[in-house]
Amino acid sequence: MTKVLNVPLGSQHVALLEPVSFKLTTKNERVVEVTADVGYVHRGIEKACETKFKFKQIPFVVSRVCGLCSITHATTSTLAIEKLLNLEVPKKAKYLRILALELDRIHSHMLCLAHTAENAGYEALFMRILRDREHVMELQEILTGNRVHFDYVCIGGVNRDFDNDLNSTFEKYLKIFENFTTEIKELFLNNWSLSLKYKGVGAISADRALEQSLAGPLIRACGLKIDVRSEFDFLPYSELDFNIITSDGGDVYGRNMVRLDEIFESIRLIRAVINNLPEGDIQTKVKGNPDGEAIVRLEAPRGELFYYIKGSKKPNLDRVRIKTPTFTNIPSMIDMLKNQEYANVPAIIASFDPCLSCTAK
Amino acid sequence: MIQGMINSFCNLFKKSATIDFPNEQMKISKNYRGLINHSDSDCIWCDVCEKVCPPGAILFLQNMDGSKKYNYNPYLCIYCGECVRNCPKPNEALWQEENIAFSSSSKKEVQDDWFSLEDECKIARVKYKEHKESLKKSQKVEQPLS
Ligand code: SF4
Ligand code: SF4
Repeated sequence: MTKVLNVPLGSQHVALLEPVSFKLTTKNERVVEVTADVGYVHRGIEKACETKFKFKQIPFVVSRVCGLCSITHATTSTLAIEKLLNLEVPKKAKYLRILALELDRIHSHMLCLAHTAENAGYEALFMRILRDREHVMELQEILTGNRVHFDYVCIGGVNRDFDNDLNSTFEKYLKIFENFTTEIKELFLNNWSLSLKYKGVGAISADRALEQSLAGPLIRACGLKIDVRSEFDFLPYSELDFNIITSDGGDVYGRNMVRLDEIFESIRLIRAVINNLPEGDIQTKVKGNPDGEAIVRLEAPRGELFYYIKGSKKPNLDRVRIKTPTFTNIPSMIDMLKNQEYANVPAIIASFDPCLSCTAK
Repeated sequence: MIQGMINSFCNLFKKSATIDFPNEQMKISKNYRGLINHSDSDCIWCDVCEKVCPPGAILFLQNMDGSKKYNYNPYLCIYCGECVRNCPKPNEALWQEENIAFSSSSKKEVQDDWFSLEDECKIARVKYKEHKESLKKSQKVEQPLS
């Protein structure tokens, strides 16, 4: 006998801490129908950017879209505004931007890994990853002056210089990062009980992923080499021998592996930035007001982040449009939850690295 | 499994990863972005810091005698440091220290009346402008008489 049950998941519900609600229709433990509502934390940031704030304040406003990828939001909007102002940013500033972006990627991926571990029922691993993530936050604080909202990027460059005596601090921390990432990877690779929740769970084929335009580590987990960092030259990633990390299988396990390997890649990029850091200024002077339209895409930890900015020679912008990768991924998340066992649902949701503050913004 | 048991046993004697707050203070790195301080004697009252502040955490209240009063709301401030970077006299008139505002339970401390102060500042500015204009006019009227 099949029994149909409607199970609510999320939004102020114990089973899912994020402000999102899923309504799952299950038949004998198997999910058959899913609806999602993501609009719980809408704050009208796009509208605020057009009405309340001047263009110079926009990077500070949009970095509050999300606490995890605040630097990516700030950098993308800054790049778009710089495009409209025809500003040439010093090379050193560009390198330092990469440094901050990659540090951010490390801690964001670690949080996601921690959540996948937690939602697979492995609370101790969750705590352990978060303990190690604290080192990354410390390093960010040393570099930018704050743990979460860096406000490091400004229009025309970056706000703080990289002192040479930071070199040894960075080297010390990067060694710590490498050690703990190796340990965590070992666990994710070999732990038998974790593999039960990960291997083959929530799998998606490469064709289907392309069809649904998945973004970020999710699509790279299907073996596709798609990464905005290699497509544009807003930031000099190509000078640093950037590699695209992929995995196969398209399942939760594959996504975890992509994230873990990307942490190693980010560590390598940070080293490369420090070793090749050019001399020079970190800021140029800003003149005039933005005029015209600009589109900038950048790889956030969760995938492609898109900004459209329109200005007409006024201090206030005419339009700011933000498209976040997490929003792009919601339809395929719904698609993927169908036909899965109910017990796997939390692990799949966590593997998408959902960030509701940037989905709803 | 045996390895697991050994690990668990060793973990019992490891130093805890958390800080024993408030007995032990949090480690704050050098150049941490904290509270904003202002010095009345060094300030040239250019209002730049008020204009650049994204959340509007600095307000100048215009007095009728031409002087201004600096107001700062640490609970609205996002500690971005933009005001200090734009101040013509950074580190003299305006500087950022390494401490942050502590949470508070009293309404007065968290500046509950900040938004009414915002309105007050706007009104005071308009009034001061009118006051100045009327002063100018009266001076002009006075001149031909003398
Ligand atoms: S630090 Fe930023 S938010 Fe705080 S007063 Fe200065 S400009 Fe305003
Ligand atoms: S920017 Fe500096 S000098 Fe100007 S009003 Fe503010 S504190 Fe005073």
